[in-house]
Amino acid sequence: MAINKVAVIGAGLMGGGIAAHVANAGTDVILLDIVPEGAKKRSQLALDSVERLLKTEPAPFMDKKNAKRIACGNIEDDLKLLADADWIIEAVIEKLEIKHEIYRLINKVRKPGSIVSSNTSTIPCSDLMRGMDESFQRDFLITHFFNPPRYMRLLEIVKGEKTSDDAVYTVSEFSDMNLGKGVVACKDTPGFIANRIGTFWIQAAVVEAFKGTVTIEEADAAIGRALGIPKTGIFGLMDLVGIDLMPLVGKSLYDAVPMDDAYRAIYSEPEQIKSMIAEGLIGRKGKGGFYRLNNEDGKKTKQVIDLATGAYSTAQRPTPASVRAAGKSPRALFEHGDAVSDFAWQVMSQTLVYATELIPEIAQDVVAVDKAMTLGYAWKHGPFELIDRIGASWFTERLKTEGRNIPALLASAAEKGGFYRVEGGRLQYLSTDDEYVTVKRAPGILLLSDIKRAGEPITRNGSASLWDIGSGVACLEFHTKMNAIDPDVLNMLSKSVEIVSRDYKALVLHNEGTNYSVGVNLGLALFAANVAAWQVMEDMIKRGQDVFKELKFAPFPVVGAPSGMALGGGCESLLHCDAVQAHAESYIGLVEVGVGLIPGWGGCKELLVRGLTGKRGGIFGGGAMPVISKLFQTIGLAKVSRSAAQAFGYGYLREGDRITFNRDRLLADARDYALELAENYQTPEPQEIKLPGNSARVALMMAVRGLAKTRKATPHDLTVVEQLGIVLTGGKTDTTEALCEDDISALERKALATLAKNPLTLARMEHMLETGKPLRN
Amino acid sequence: MQIYKAPLRDMRFVLHELLDAKQLSKLPGYEEATADTIDTIIEEGAKFCQDKLLPLNRVGDEEGCTYENGVVRTPPGFKQAYNDFVGAGWQSISSDPNYGGQGLPALMNFVIEEMVCSTNIAFGVYPLLSRGAASLIERHGSDDIKETYLPHLADGSWSGTMCLTESQCGTDLGLIRTKAVPAGNGKYSISGSKIFISAGEHDLSENIIHLVLAKLPDAPEGVRGISLFLVPKLSVNGRGTAAEVGSRNGVACGSIEKKMGIHGSATCVINFDEAEGYLIGDPHKGLRCMFTMMNGARLGVGMQGLALGETAYQSATAYAKERRSGKSLTKGTKSADVADPIIVHPDVRNMLLTARAYNEGARALAYWTALQLDLSTHHPDAETRRDADEIVQLMTPVIKAFLTDRGFEAANLAVQVHGGHGYISEHGIEQLVRDARIAQLYEGTNGIQALDLVGRKLSLHTGRLLRHFFHPATEFVETNQETEELKDLVLPLAKALEKLQQATLVIAQKGLGDPEEAAAVATDYLKMFGLVAVGYMWLLMAEKAVAKAADANGDARFYANKLKTAQFYMHKLLPDASAAFLRIMTGKYAAAQFNEEDF
Repeated sequence: MAINKVAVIGAGLMGGGIAAHVANAGTDVILLDIVPEGAKKRSQLALDSVERLLKTEPAPFMDKKNAKRIACGNIEDDLKLLADADWIIEAVIEKLEIKHEIYRLINKVRKPGSIVSSNTSTIPCSDLMRGMDESFQRDFLITHFFNPPRYMRLLEIVKGEKTSDDAVYTVSEFSDMNLGKGVVACKDTPGFIANRIGTFWIQAAVVEAFKGTVTIEEADAAIGRALGIPKTGIFGLMDLVGIDLMPLVGKSLYDAVPMDDAYRAIYSEPEQIKSMIAEGLIGRKGKGGFYRLNNEDGKKTKQVIDLATGAYSTAQRPTPASVRAAGKSPRALFEHGDAVSDFAWQVMSQTLVYATELIPEIAQDVVAVDKAMTLGYAWKHGPFELIDRIGASWFTERLKTEGRNIPALLASAAEKGGFYRVEGGRLQYLSTDDEYVTVKRAPGILLLSDIKRAGEPITRNGSASLWDIGSGVACLEFHTKMNAIDPDVLNMLSKSVEIVSRDYKALVLHNEGTNYSVGVNLGLALFAANVAAWQVMEDMIKRGQDVFKELKFAPFPVVGAPSGMALGGGCESLLHCDAVQAHAESYIGLVEVGVGLIPGWGGCKELLVRGLTGKRGGIFGGGAMPVISKLFQTIGLAKVSRSAAQAFGYGYLREGDRITFNRDRLLADARDYALELAENYQTPEPQEIKLPGNSARVALMMAVRGLAKTRKATPHDLTVVEQLGIVLTGGKTDTTEALCEDDISALERKALATLAKNPLTLARMEHMLETGKPLRN
Repeated sequence: MQIYKAPLRDMRFVLHELLDAKQLSKLPGYEEATADTIDTIIEEGAKFCQDKLLPLNRVGDEEGCTYENGVVRTPPGFKQAYNDFVGAGWQSISSDPNYGGQGLPALMNFVIEEMVCSTNIAFGVYPLLSRGAASLIERHGSDDIKETYLPHLADGSWSGTMCLTESQCGTDLGLIRTKAVPAGNGKYSISGSKIFISAGEHDLSENIIHLVLAKLPDAPEGVRGISLFLVPKLSVNGRGTAAEVGSRNGVACGSIEKKMGIHGSATCVINFDEAEGYLIGDPHKGLRCMFTMMNGARLGVGMQGLALGETAYQSATAYAKERRSGKSLTKGTKSADVADPIIVHPDVRNMLLTARAYNEGARALAYWTALQLDLSTHHPDAETRRDADEIVQLMTPVIKAFLTDRGFEAANLAVQVHGGHGYISEHGIEQLVRDARIAQLYEGTNGIQALDLVGRKLSLHTGRLLRHFFHPATEFVETNQETEELKDLVLPLAKALEKLQQATLVIAQKGLGDPEEAAAVATDYLKMFGLVAVGYMWLLMAEKAVAKAADANGDARFYANKLKTAQFYMHKLLPDASAAFLRIMTGKYAAAQFNEEDF
């Protein structure tokens, strides 16, 4: 069965977020909630929810127009709408009787075979299904989304005893392909996988922190980089989630787990936390939490609570000796032996042992648990991957010396050398049968990391590698810091063109970094500018232009496959591709103006050519100005798309470019697309365009000067966009002259040479490197 | 024989014509630094140094300091000279006027220091350390400390030291063992032993103020746990001008070192035995304060290099004009039994001009840096202050290492010019070599300076410090490439500058991945940087000389010689930059391929 329409019941935080994300996937959604007492509009709750979703940051919608796909209603008047829905998601309050009530209402109107699921995080599937009729039980399952639904990739699915395989398959498939989720099948056990371990982990941290040997900031510094855990740490995470939820979640898990579960042994309800909740100190949504932003004399300072006294003071940013010494090594962190190191050990060793004890109770294998923790809690390594990083035998030895219990699976991993191994180029995991089993990928999933495990690259240098990804397609991977583009990346691009021309059908640009590429290596550029190595800079710009040109006019198709940020030079690399297969979460933009520069590797040129030729060509006879003026705004304001969908509006993506929702499917989709293009491929023809020249630039600048007067633009903004204006209007040209692509490239270089010598530009570059934020000078 | 007449014409050229030093008089607090005042000061300073300090240089070397029962005596005449020195106010010319100083620009102090060390470097050690201690207290001391100690350091009745080194550690200060225990009343009890303490004990001043690095009981490990304490030799009662010395504090000189040179400077082992001290700055943050003093001292040591180079050049030149040996290959006397003065020989000229071209170029670089130091403290505009401070930060290791290496080279060449006579103590020339040698070692060896340059100064703010040198230098070169009178000088520097840019980028890039790559070429890089920086100074000087040559009146020869010396520098000395460049490009490989056992 195909899912063409979805309904969400309950327009709260989760319900609304789920509805928004289903709309992102291009599917129509019905969003229903109760009729509130005394409301003017009977569907007020759903309407408010959509209103709120449009204002929330980070944005639940990939494009604001997706909100139109949500039809708002209420469960008194609009139940009949459910008759159209293929999948009905219940996301109401965690009260069994209320949920049953809703199910009975749904059951009256839903069409036969439609799927019903609950977004519960605490109620067992068996309880939810109890008393419902046979057909309902067949069509029912739990789909547990994580907050925020657009961004957290985990979806836990729990089937009941009677749930049909079809229902599970249909929902899994839709969630995977259309919503981009990493689906993990869970057993019907308390807290499922991620929250079972996550709640234990948080509880362990609270218990250890209340012993008073470390401060809150030290605790969050401890549970951080060395362990591959986001820098919010644990207390920062509680502030984010809401401290008020902690006792509820904690108590419900306490009541549900088996009597001998380790969680029951560490469970407590600290007075301090109770009184914080009583005072409304429930985290970011309240008036503060473990941290708060204090606004005094217009200055915002981050403050932190003292667990013993409850008083706030200015937060320090400690890098405890052990954390500093550890770097990215968890074992070094544990071995250091200071108070922070001991804290980290206590919290993590208990949590990791707990996770091991839960297999096979909550999941059949370690892979599912690792996937759940990485996708649901944003851990870089799941618990078992983490134990392998620590060293399973070292970890076990230390537990032994402390006289602690060693779960059998852990003992076995310690003996055999880890929970994972690579055998014959394939990743294997240690099963409960005490044997290594190959990790299976679903069809349509192609991971560069798997390819890398299996063999050597076609060629590589320190900054990039070229891989054979099968079917005659090669993949160029950047692997610099933040995947910045440096001279070696350019060299490898150029070499790839040569190799692919000879030996392959097509090329894909892709990597598995958090960000596809943040653009040119700014540090290198700034350093060259600081030593006045102008020729070096000029050569670097020219080299980038030349290499991207080679890419564009190569005798084979090139498909860009970005995920995350594709900024500046990263964006320009995509603009020179024949097509882009973008991950839905792609943030694309030409941001050079933010550092006082303009796009110089063909960003201006490609957008001009796209705007003025091809399908929309010929509009120049009087119509170039709207295109130029739009580009002037887009680049001048350093616009970055907040999703792949939005990138079309800016011109960073164009007709024919495609979107993949599931990151794990991105490379396979890109490869398929590249093969599609390789059939009868024809190299594009270089274009000529006509630009209006000086007078048009003057017109563009008039508008900007207005902004400067109202202080919306700084004096240096004017200097920078003046150069942008020169490039976009063609310099000293007029409409009678045809400019070739190289002419525009030359204009880009000239503009950059001017800007790179400007100390205000250098100050912007430096500020970006040191703070990660643009300087408004 | 040691010959020295202060090079006043050259000093005035650099101060007035090159740097327009009177611009300092426009800065708040420096109103008195007019051109006339500057000239008067350097002229008087020159007289003092020539008349009082130069005559003591030989005797200081021969007699040295003596140690007996914890008492150190300076060489004969030092005490009188010191009294005259502080009496005439030379100690305090650039000290804080709120505490008895004269508040003149630091630049003036640099010029005086050059002359003092040209005539008697061993003597110069004492005022240098007192000045360093005073500037540290000016920056980091509490009001109470300032009021009590600064006036006495300014009038020279008390002197200062810096106590860092211990027997187990010099550069690696994280390893120090000297302890400080809180003793109530804001006082601390300091115990430990320091070595290599210049001016640690002597008979010149009534009291000695030690600035001591020590560790508090709760100190974090390593360099993050070092605190700074002020420990007087004699305890001080009362405060402000009413402060008086009292009983002996727990500070004793255990011995003095016998050493290669600067015999008149007492190099002491200082033992602290529950000595009473006062915390300066925050606990555990003492190293940062100490760097105020060390940076000042590093520039001062750089001046010592230049100072000895000048005396070496003057002494060798006088000898070369006088000493007759061999005949000129072209235009010498025809008489068979009379030889020509050795200055006719090309090799001797090369040696003399090497020293001279480095000296004059180094003087320009050092005074320029000193001017930046004044701008960094007194300019009203914050951005100008920051930029000037960054120039000083960048140039400090270059001045320290490059100038002391060149100073030693000049002293060595002076011996060479003297032939065998240079090796004989009686002529006093070998003393210059021995005295010059220390400047390459103390205040951080020149190897450490090179690491500071490549490891720290290069990378700060992604190379922002470099901008203050490379941007103006590049612009000058670009502007003057076609200038008829200058282009012969500009071309060689343009090439060297381009290579320096390339080397800088390569080190920055390689060093990111492998710090050893940067460390292995640090000394070569510092040398190359020094050569190019001094070369840039020569271009600036040449530009002025060309402009002045037209209506020079009686000074025509001075400007003509400036241009000739610039030519010599560009064609005979700057080429060393190419060799350094090649060594830098080789990277660490050549030495790294050896294992420790291979040595």
